[in-house]
Amino acid sequence: MSGFFDNLAMGCHVALSIGNLAYCFLGVLIGTLIGVLPGIGPVGTISLLLPVTFGISPTSAIIMLAGIYYGAQYGGSTTSILVNIPGEATSVITCLDGYQMARHGRAGPALGIAAFGSFIAGTIGTIIVMLVAVPLSAVALKFGPPEYFSLIILSLAILSYLAHGSLVKAVIMAILGVSLSQIGIDGVTGRTRFTFGILDLQDGLGLVPVVMGLFGVAEVLENLEESLNIDVFKTKIKNLLPNLRDWAESIGAIIRGSFLGFFLGILPGGGAIMSTFVSYALEKKLSKHPEKFGTGVIAGVAGPESANNAASSGAFIPLFTLGFPSNAITALLLGALMIHGVQPGPTLIEKHPDIFWGTIISMYIGNILLVVLNLPLIGLWVRILKVPYKILFPLLLLLCIIGSYSTNNSKFDVLIMLIFGVIGYSFRKFDYELAPLVIAFVLGPILETSLRQSLLISKGSISIFFMRPISVACLIIGAAVLLLPIALRQSRRLREKIT
Amino acid sequence: MKKLLLADGLLWVLLGIGMCLGSIQLKLGTFHTPGAGFLPFFAGASLALFGLILVCSTLISQAKEGEAARDLGRLTKRRWKRFLNPSLTVAILVGYILLLEPLGFLLTTFVCLLLLFKLAEPKKWLTPLLLSGSTAILSYLLFSVWLQCQLPKGLLKFW
Repeated sequence: MSGFFDNLAMGCHVALSIGNLAYCFLGVLIGTLIGVLPGIGPVGTISLLLPVTFGISPTSAIIMLAGIYYGAQYGGSTTSILVNIPGEATSVITCLDGYQMARHGRAGPALGIAAFGSFIAGTIGTIIVMLVAVPLSAVALKFGPPEYFSLIILSLAILSYLAHGSLVKAVIMAILGVSLSQIGIDGVTGRTRFTFGILDLQDGLGLVPVVMGLFGVAEVLENLEESLNIDVFKTKIKNLLPNLRDWAESIGAIIRGSFLGFFLGILPGGGAIMSTFVSYALEKKLSKHPEKFGTGVIAGVAGPESANNAASSGAFIPLFTLGFPSNAITALLLGALMIHGVQPGPTLIEKHPDIFWGTIISMYIGNILLVVLNLPLIGLWVRILKVPYKILFPLLLLLCIIGSYSTNNSKFDVLIMLIFGVIGYSFRKFDYELAPLVIAFVLGPILETSLRQSLLISKGSISIFFMRPISVACLIIGAAVLLLPIALRQSRRLREKIT
Repeated sequence: MKKLLLADGLLWVLLGIGMCLGSIQLKLGTFHTPGAGFLPFFAGASLALFGLILVCSTLISQAKEGEAARDLGRLTKRRWKRFLNPSLTVAILVGYILLLEPLGFLLTTFVCLLLLFKLAEPKKWLTPLLLSGSTAILSYLLFSVWLQCQLPKGLLKFW
């Protein structure tokens, strides 16, 4: 137990240093800003800022990038409530009751409860991460190469299952991600793979240009199809502090949203988005007046806004304990750790306690900073909303170019970014989801290494994956996740035909 | 549109087959000692398989007929004109990549931003000129001077 408090003290020492406080502040400020602005997401922003973090310590880099992640969840609610345009996908459901509250002159309490709910959920989430991550990483240490291989297959299966569109398309994206990760020199045999004689490809495709292209450039190209004329809701925002009645109606929703969001956030895929919808449905079900939902019920804002923040904390569990990303943002954080020479995985907490405990404490601080930022600066965020997209998009493209170029000082990386920008734009047109691609791209090398090691241990027998309980359990669940929806659909069709 | 969806599926089939052939050239190895082409071969085969499922589901499923029709409606309604701005932006960025090293960061950024701002404000000159000029200089000062990024100097080597 004393070890726990020692680590906590070390975390405080790391997070409360002037430099890390500044990076935490910068992270949550940028996160809130991009959360407020529709059309710029945390994935694009983190990939933009990834090269900027090369010059700072890995702890400071993760503190800042994590701040952007959870900060964006706070900021996303502002546009949902004021303009009926979700700043983030996780704030879509907030539009339903948040905007109605604003229309009835209650924008202040809606913004206030979103901020306080996010603060409470963020804090609860951080406490659970702190308590659960260390014992879980001890369990994860027992994982060998076969378990890792099967766990990656399970993660990719769940990710594909949770994708919004077609399951087949999501699986294709995951396979494509693994395939793209194979480009470059094979570490074991030394042979170059799929480089087509291009020297710049020998080191493989860079994470930064690929992600910037797929998310940053593709998003700009898509937005350029139509002008973004945002009509800011013209009302005076007053009484940001919710009254006692508001609290009484919201506190249950906040607590439920916090726990629900946290556990759904651990799942690979759109945990945060899913948690907001589940939370909203749950609050509606538990309400004495479900028919009023959609007309400006405060619990309809408090629940989902708490859930999305808690989910962003939950996403850190697989990242810190297994070195697995559960969404595109944590995939980038994983990439950031690897770029800084930190090996993610079960030994991360043991070998780099400063990164883990420093980030945990910074999340407490960040949550406090976000409440302080969100409430008094609401007027500023509203004003920023008025920046027209025609001024914003060239600046975003410039940041993408600089970010890609400065990774290796290579214009080839800018070309890769542009190519993946066009690919990402086309994929969006054909309803392909990009998150499975990015996560599989990051996990591809780990998948190959664990496959090779497993086959080496078993002297070439694939039965190794079916002889070890954790591995076989992961494979069975993975197969069930992929096959169950198909089986259910077929049986439904059969039943329909019979009737 | 159905043709487009079929082509979409076929693309994955072809890509998967191409990957398999490339992997065989790389040597697959054995299960005991997997070669460089081992995982790419299985990835390629899976890609081709799922591409084939996509093609089959487009051909067979009645539901897909509805989806294809819906997609067709969506795309024709959008009109190809809407792809003009994204296409021009990509063309400007290609030009940026080609000119970045010969002209240098400052000049290329200025020209590229001017074109992008003009894309949004075709009738005005002063605002795009001011915005692109100030952004190019500020970004140079921020990234090259302050953050020490090695941005190409090109024609302005004396800076």
